[in-house]
Amino acid sequence: MLKGLPLIFLLLLSFVTRAEQWPTEQWPSGPVITGPALQALEQYAFAPRNDNTRQGIRTDALLVIRDGQLIYERYAGPTTAETPHLTWSISKSLMATVLGVAYGEGLFKLQDPVQKFYPPLKKYPTMTLADLLHWASGIDWQEDYEYAPLKSSVVAMLYTRGRADMGAFTVDHDSYAAPGQAFRYSSGDTNLLSAALKTMVGPNRYADYPWAALFEPLGIRRAVWETDATGTFVASSYAYLTARDLARVGLLMARDGRWGDRQLLPKDWVAFNREPFAHYRANQDAAVPGGHWWLNRAVDGAAQPWPDAPADTFAALGHWGQAMYVIPSENLVIVRYGDDRDGSYRHNELLKLALKTFAAEVQP
Amino acid sequence: MSGFFRRRPISSLLLILLLALLGWIWHERVALWAFPGIISAYTAKEYCSCRYVMNNDAEYCRGYVKQWLPTSGFVDDVASKQITVSGMGRSNSAVWIGERQGCRLQQ
Repeated sequence: MLKGLPLIFLLLLSFVTRAEQWPTEQWPSGPVITGPALQALEQYAFAPRNDNTRQGIRTDALLVIRDGQLIYERYAGPTTAETPHLTWSISKSLMATVLGVAYGEGLFKLQDPVQKFYPPLKKYPTMTLADLLHWASGIDWQEDYEYAPLKSSVVAMLYTRGRADMGAFTVDHDSYAAPGQAFRYSSGDTNLLSAALKTMVGPNRYADYPWAALFEPLGIRRAVWETDATGTFVASSYAYLTARDLARVGLLMARDGRWGDRQLLPKDWVAFNREPFAHYRANQDAAVPGGHWWLNRAVDGAAQPWPDAPADTFAALGHWGQAMYVIPSENLVIVRYGDDRDGSYRHNELLKLALKTFAAEVQP
Repeated sequence: MSGFFRRRPISSLLLILLLALLGWIWHERVALWAFPGIISAYTAKEYCSCRYVMNNDAEYCRGYVKQWLPTSGFVDDVASKQITVSGMGRSNSAVWIGERQGCRLQQ
């Protein structure tokens, strides 16, 4: 009998280590990782920082979740674990995730014409929700930030002509292609989705919907999402979350839309997010567009955008170096916030160094 | 007409350039009219969010919103969490609205 006891403990232990980990109020902690690989990663991500010249790689936060446990986090500059950091265009993938909950409620289908939910779009009657999620509206949009401020649609939308009503401002553009036929990255497309959501869920639920549908079920307590003057969420640009909270969305995506026992996003929704857009042409952008997420897939004869990361890696990406990478095959979620004002940061380099540090050791 | 071009080639060229410039100004009139408002709106909005949404300190946020165009008359009314900035002859204000809504430019 006594001889059997250690075996029972061993069995229990293996059960505990195999049980799936989820965050509750806090993330459970995993094993602390040290060593030369981590040093190399930190040298890359946390190079000495100069807030006057603002040159080089300026990481504000780096956080790694493996198997549902927090195994690494470090902050720099003014950012702390408590800072709801501006996510810029990560907001777009967050809006896609909010829409996924609405999709699960049966409020729309991917092939529905958008004009059904946003009447000003009767100007483009064949445009579907899938087209907007692929950034393939065909609307003649110019997505430059600082470098071409006169012609930039996104600068005009956020700061001048579009700021009162970003949906209407987007519709006011001409088209350059038929909807669904060509990829062109557009913050306007995302804000049309945000405007369509208002009709899908109804004006009464809309103002609270991202919280009720996504943030609260995931235990995210302090998300901020700014709106235009009509109350439409600036889904292209203005969601703010702590690094720890954003990683919750990453874990949801890594686990195919399931949170604990609840399938919050339908599995076919996540599959759509992760499916490359068929009309994307090689090198049109820095990564391959799926359904409002960015994919590390080799398509149209081009190599994977991030050759040192697994092909199932996908990401939400934003201006000034904001990134959340999800790598289901490694059970990894990596959040990287930054304040990069030049183009020196490289997704592939960060991923290579992080995988060397945090990917599960190969079993002998 | 062709005689004028031959006698005054430089003036003709300048005239053509002037007409092209006027045509371009007319073509881009909407964007050109909005352009001077960008710097004050950007500074007011992103400072407001830096300070009152991300809760960074005031000095950091002044550096965070700095661009190559100058601004003037920066006022951060701490009591009402309202920021007013001028630049290129235009003025814009952003105000913190609430815990979930963050900041917004005022119309």
